[in-house]
Amino acid sequence: MSMQKHLRIDPRTGLLLLVMSNIIAFTQNSFSVETGWILFLCLLAAFCGCGRAAARWLLAFCLLLGLQYYVFPVSAKIIATSFSIFANYTRRMFPCLIVGMLMVKKTPLRDLIVGLRKWHFPQKLIVAVSVTLRYFPAIREEAGYIRDAMKLRKIHGLQKVECLVIPLMISATGTAEELAAAAVTRGIENPAPKTSVVELRLTAADGACILAGVLFTAASCLIR
Amino acid sequence: MISIEDVSFGYSGEHGTLHDVTLKIRDGECILLCGESGCGKTTVTKLMNGLVPHFTDGCALEGRVSAEGLAVAETELYELAKRVGSVFQNPKSQFFNLDSDSELAFGLENQGAAPDFIRTRLKETVRNLRMEALQGRSIFSMSGGEKQMLAFASVYAMDPAVFVLDEPTANLDEDAVKRLREQLRFLKRQGHTVVIAEHRLWFLDGLIDRAVFLKNGRIERSFSGGEFFSLPERERIDMGLRALTPPDGALPPALPCGAARGLSVEGLACGFGKGEPVLRALSFSAIPGEILAVSGKNGIGKTTLTRCLCGLMRERAGTVRLNGRRLNRKQRAKAAFCVMQDVNHQLFSDSVFGECLLAAPGCTDERVKEVLNRFDLLPFQEKHPMALSGGQKQRLAIATAVLSGKELLIFDEPTSGLDYAHMMEVSSVVRRLADEGRVVLIVTHDREFLRCACDRELELREEGL
Repeated sequence: MSMQKHLRIDPRTGLLLLVMSNIIAFTQNSFSVETGWILFLCLLAAFCGCGRAAARWLLAFCLLLGLQYYVFPVSAKIIATSFSIFANYTRRMFPCLIVGMLMVKKTPLRDLIVGLRKWHFPQKLIVAVSVTLRYFPAIREEAGYIRDAMKLRKIHGLQKVECLVIPLMISATGTAEELAAAAVTRGIENPAPKTSVVELRLTAADGACILAGVLFTAASCLIR
Repeated sequence: MISIEDVSFGYSGEHGTLHDVTLKIRDGECILLCGESGCGKTTVTKLMNGLVPHFTDGCALEGRVSAEGLAVAETELYELAKRVGSVFQNPKSQFFNLDSDSELAFGLENQGAAPDFIRTRLKETVRNLRMEALQGRSIFSMSGGEKQMLAFASVYAMDPAVFVLDEPTANLDEDAVKRLREQLRFLKRQGHTVVIAEHRLWFLDGLIDRAVFLKNGRIERSFSGGEFFSLPERERIDMGLRALTPPDGALPPALPCGAARGLSVEGLACGFGKGEPVLRALSFSAIPGEILAVSGKNGIGKTTLTRCLCGLMRERAGTVRLNGRRLNRKQRAKAAFCVMQDVNHQLFSDSVFGECLLAAPGCTDERVKEVLNRFDLLPFQEKHPMALSGGQKQRLAIATAVLSGKELLIFDEPTSGLDYAHMMEVSSVVRRLADEGRVVLIVTHDREFLRCACDRELELREEGL
């Protein structure tokens, strides 16, 4: 077993890769560019310690290809036409999904915030982004409790939605108030420029990733 | 030095929360604020950390408050935050980050301190508070006690002269309370001023210099630490305060499995996914008319047991019987009810009456009214459940369970953050449920409550039971 540390990419590199994946998704027409880009991203994910997930993405990609090239041509027309568009667009989304997964799994919220700050994003936007991201897991936890409570109360059908949303909203207002009190007593309103223990530095690996991204993007725009 | 002079205060326009409060706290003093729920002790802490008046729009404040030489009303909260640190009651809503390391650095990063300084200070914090085990952890993997400790540590990292703690033990088990006690002792030795508002009192013996007793928004009495902890039992109860000495003595153990009436759990094992089982080979009985306490450290599997008994989780092995009949998961969900720690999660309707009908659709109005009356809720039947007090919400949740004919009632930490009067109220409600022939289990780490409300105790330990 190798215990070597995994590669870490800068959150800014991640964001750039995400943007480029989007451009490639909507411009590419060449099969080799698409496949090359996906292979590259899966390799990157594997180096970052998401080897299993990368393998799964690759497998899913091959399955989709198999469907499109071997199954749809010989199946009934109605199935082929209704599913081939779906399959095609899912394939196009793959790079974005892979980069997204990589960032969610490997980039701590704090690094992302520091990255955005370095790019001089407005502080207001950063606070909004961080609070939103902070809330999702908390809401999932709350929703779990409420679902448990509903199971003990025989609540069915549409009622479930109402019964989930109302307690969630009530508890969210309470939480928001308490959270805000905790934040202001820790000086979040301090106008002094904020510092960070995390120091982000773009490494050679980041440079290589960005270079590869630029090349693929250019190729996807040029090769028709 | 903190000085509060002739302060009267109300949250909405007129005075009513505090009346003529005057209190001087010297540097390095450790002060307890005590009294019943709603006596104004939390508000006094807010006077010191500036949440009053900065965070209470439309309030009425009279009098002067200064902390560490700053006039609180005229000082920005972020300036005050450097001198006065605050720890709050609810560990869930005190975090801005998703991992412990970020949270520790949060206060200093806000001040714009140099990264090298922050790093040194964080190392010191971890060493001084002995919290190595909490480094590099996700917030969601931490227990309530660990979260509260992290909140405390992240305030400590900012090194304020004054610490203001508002009911810090509300969600802590006994070990965590003892740890907090050691940390407070350490703060005192370092010369910090500590102000603590609390219901649970015994752990502060030997720690506080003065106790201030509030009633209806006034300071009624003031004691030295020694005087306070030698108050006679009678007087303590008249003042509505909880025990001053650590709760001791043990309850008889839970009955062995196999009871013909009530709940019998035989060789139960539970776990998540493919992981190690959380509970293994657990066996016990709980009979109607008796109240069984389920105790044990945080993370030992109390919640897992509750969820399994309520049919929210499948068992890996073992049998659960009620009155001799074996129940599968779905049947358990029908027969059992859990009153959750945060009862807000389980009230869904827009009126108290509607809540009851939602729980038991076929019920006649008379029956609903009868049950509401039994739980002293009839006068509130038109009210919105969220407009009720904490205790009333709890009773409403119980009323819905009774109406839908549940035989097994499980309470998850029903007394967290309750004062003496409310604790006694909860124990009389659960006693009534038991007397009516229901099987009652109470999950709690509040030993004072456990001693006064329960008949037997099931203590979960590392190796099953």
